[in-house]
Order: sequence, then structure tokens, then C-alpha cells
Amino acid sequence: VYVVRDFEFLEPTSVHDASAMLAEYGDECRIIAGGTALVLALRQRMVNPTHLISIGQIERARGITYDKKVGLRIGALTLHAEVAASPVIRKGYPMLADMAARVADPQVRNQGTIGGNLCYADPATDPPSSLMANDARLVLASKRGERILTIEEFLVDYYTTALEPDEIVTEIQVPPVNYTVGRHVRHLRTAAEHRPMINVAVTVKQNGRQCDDVRLVVGATTPVPARVKTGEDFLRGKAVTVDVAAEAAQIVATSIRPISDMRGSESYRRRVVATVVRRTICEMFGLEPS
Amino acid sequence: MAMRKHSISVTVNGMAHQIEVPARRLLSDLLRDDLNLTGTKRGCETGICGACSVLLDGEVVKSCLSLAIQARGRSITTVEGLAQGGDLHPIQQAFMEHGGLQCGYCTPGMMIAASALLKHNATPSCHEVRSGLNGNLCRCTGYASIVSAIMSAAEKIYGS
Repeated sequence: VYVVRDFEFLEPTSVHDASAMLAEYGDECRIIAGGTALVLALRQRMVNPTHLISIGQIERARGITYDKKVGLRIGALTLHAEVAASPVIRKGYPMLADMAARVADPQVRNQGTIGGNLCYADPATDPPSSLMANDARLVLASKRGERILTIEEFLVDYYTTALEPDEIVTEIQVPPVNYTVGRHVRHLRTAAEHRPMINVAVTVKQNGRQCDDVRLVVGATTPVPARVKTGEDFLRGKAVTVDVAAEAAQIVATSIRPISDMRGSESYRRRVVATVVRRTICEMFGLEPS
Repeated sequence: MAMRKHSISVTVNGMAHQIEVPARRLLSDLLRDDLNLTGTKRGCETGICGACSVLLDGEVVKSCLSLAIQARGRSITTVEGLAQGGDLHPIQQAFMEHGGLQCGYCTPGMMIAASALLKHNATPSCHEVRSGLNGNLCRCTGYASIVSAIMSAAEKIYGS
């Protein structure tokens, strides 16, 4: 008995071949990397492709490298568990390693890839927010060439990316760290839930209590994660106190446009965002939240 | 239209197999239906419950969310592979002694997840054990006795 409809399984070994197959089969095909999201969708017959294009044999989409000047390069096929365990990421980008160590559950971290996570564009997930706060970029490759997009440009909407039909994501690039401290905080509706209802990713350049620069991203509670510029502008250049953190949190909570669904109403989500932002900023500046 | 079959080699519990599968064959079905290793359970079949957990090259994965062809050339351990030479694995022994099961349906997945956890962490705290079991659900006995079984197994395996 097969629960999944039949399909051909293709295994290109180069971006060129993968891209040619994608162009040929169009809507009839899907890319498979780790498969945690796709196999579930196949099982539930939400998608019924005639061809699966496995990109697991494309070597250039593997590996993690770091260069002081260029920054971090994470191959799109890197597993969440590999991001979490990578010595260079743990040392240079601990907020990314900490985030990856808590994605979903151990099984999904051993199967799911960071590239697949980004391409699926599920709103209730942690990696995009954290990468956005780190000013990450994605390399999109096809037989026509390559282009580089920011996460903001890549994530268009709920489950929708800027990928052209013949493109794949080959790597994620993260510039050298230009902040003092970074945090990725997620809020789960219940401790047993695997999908964040809200996440907040913040990187700040500190001078004592002074906030010289900040990137503040709210995700998982909006269709796509986004930097909240009003909150960033408010914090930039300020001496951060508990009151400043609380005011910034209010600005952030009123600037976003949360979704409203069975997991949380819009007003509830705003209130939790305010609390998470306030506590996160306080913690980053060594303040005791009231 | 009949789709192409793939001849894949997998090592399961130390034994090499060469099997013909269509690409749509799930790893959980390969184990249960082709190899008759029914210790691995099909539970929720939506990637939530973890009853289908197996080790793939030593790391825990959900076999109901994997295609068999993704395991090509790799090594799989199922619950049947935990006991060695007729002796229960210390994790199995501890589940028995601590009453870490009631109906037993989640138990193979729990023990597989526990074995992966203890491979990485010889002295897990209660919280770390619970985090390690985050991908496994038990609907009857609850988690307290499962956690104590795993902590006791850690002491038995690594010494206290």
C-alpha cells in the first residue's frame, strides 16, 4: 500500500542539470532536499508531482566555511543539526547556532536542511528571522547564472519566495559580525509545540548601555519576518533603560501586522511580542526587566 | 504509467540488504513491510509523534517522513537492533525496571531517541532528556517514568 502517489526520482549532480530539469517539468515537479516538509505534503496529497528532483548530489550546496573578511557561507543542504554543531558558527555566530539547536525537534534537525526551510517559506519557523537579523543573503542559481538576494527580497509572502521556476538556492551568506551581541528568542504556545508562535531576533552594537546600532526582526507571527524600522530608529543612539526597552517594545508591537488564527489572535500576538521584545532588550543590556 | 524502480543498498541493524523500491516507498514502509521489522511503529504518520523514529547513520530521524531512497547506502538502526546477542540494551532494561511504558506503542521510538541522546550526552539533566524526547509523544504513561528510565540508563552505560 502506497500513501504517496507515484513519481520519478531524478538526481542531478550539477546546478545546470537541476535547473534544466526544473525548466522542463515546471509545476509538475518539486525539489526535495531533506524532505521533512515535502514528504508530509506528499503523504497528505497536498502536492502530487510527477517528478521529484533531489538536489542531494549537488556538492556545491554543501559545507560550511568561514572567512574573517567575507564571513560565513552555509551550503543550502546543511542540516539544522549541522548548523547547531558547527564550531565556526558556535564561535562566530552563537545566536544562529542556538536558534538551530532548538528548531522543531531532534529528528527534524537531523533531516531538515536550512535551504529547504527557507525555500518552503513556512511563516512559523525560526531560521529566517535569525538570518535576517544577521543581514544574510541567499545565492540563487540556475543554468542562466546566479543572483544574490537578501532574506527580505527572497521571502515574498506566506509560503512564497522570489525563486524563479528554474532556480535553486545553493548557499546562505552571512557577513562578518558587526554587532556586539545577538539574540534569537522564540515564544511557543505550549512547551510541547514545535512551531514558534512568535520569534524575535535582535542584534545590537553596544557602547556600554548605549545602543549604537540595532537590527530588530519579528517573525513567525506575520506572513513573513521583517525588520521593524520604527523600533530600530527609536533605539538607535539611545541609552537603554528598562523604560526605553518597554517603549521600544510598544512601538514594535504596534508597528507589526500580526496574523490572527486559531493559535493566537492578533491582539494576543501583539501583547506577547511586546513582552518578548522588552525582556530581550533588557537581557541584552544587562537590565532587570520590571 | 509504471514509474522506475530503484535498486538500493541499505544496512539495517548491521545486515546489508539490496532492495528494489519505487521512489515513493517511505522508509517506515520499507522497514515494516519489506523487511518485516515491525518494531518501528507507524503512529500519527504526520511527523509529530516520533513512534517511527530510527537511527540513520547513528542520528535519530522520523522514518515516516523519509523516502526509502534517501537512506540509500546508509546504515539504519531500528529498535530490533538495540539488543545485542540476546541481552537487552541498558535503555530497554531501564524502561522495564522504571515502568517507562504502558501500552508500548511509543516505546520503540522513545528508546531510539534516547539512544541518540545518550550517544551525545553521557550525563544528561532531566531537562536535557526532555529536550531530547521533544520529537516523541506518549499518550498513556506520561513522561516521568520514561525520563527516569533514561537517566538511569545513562548511569548504567557510562557509570555514575
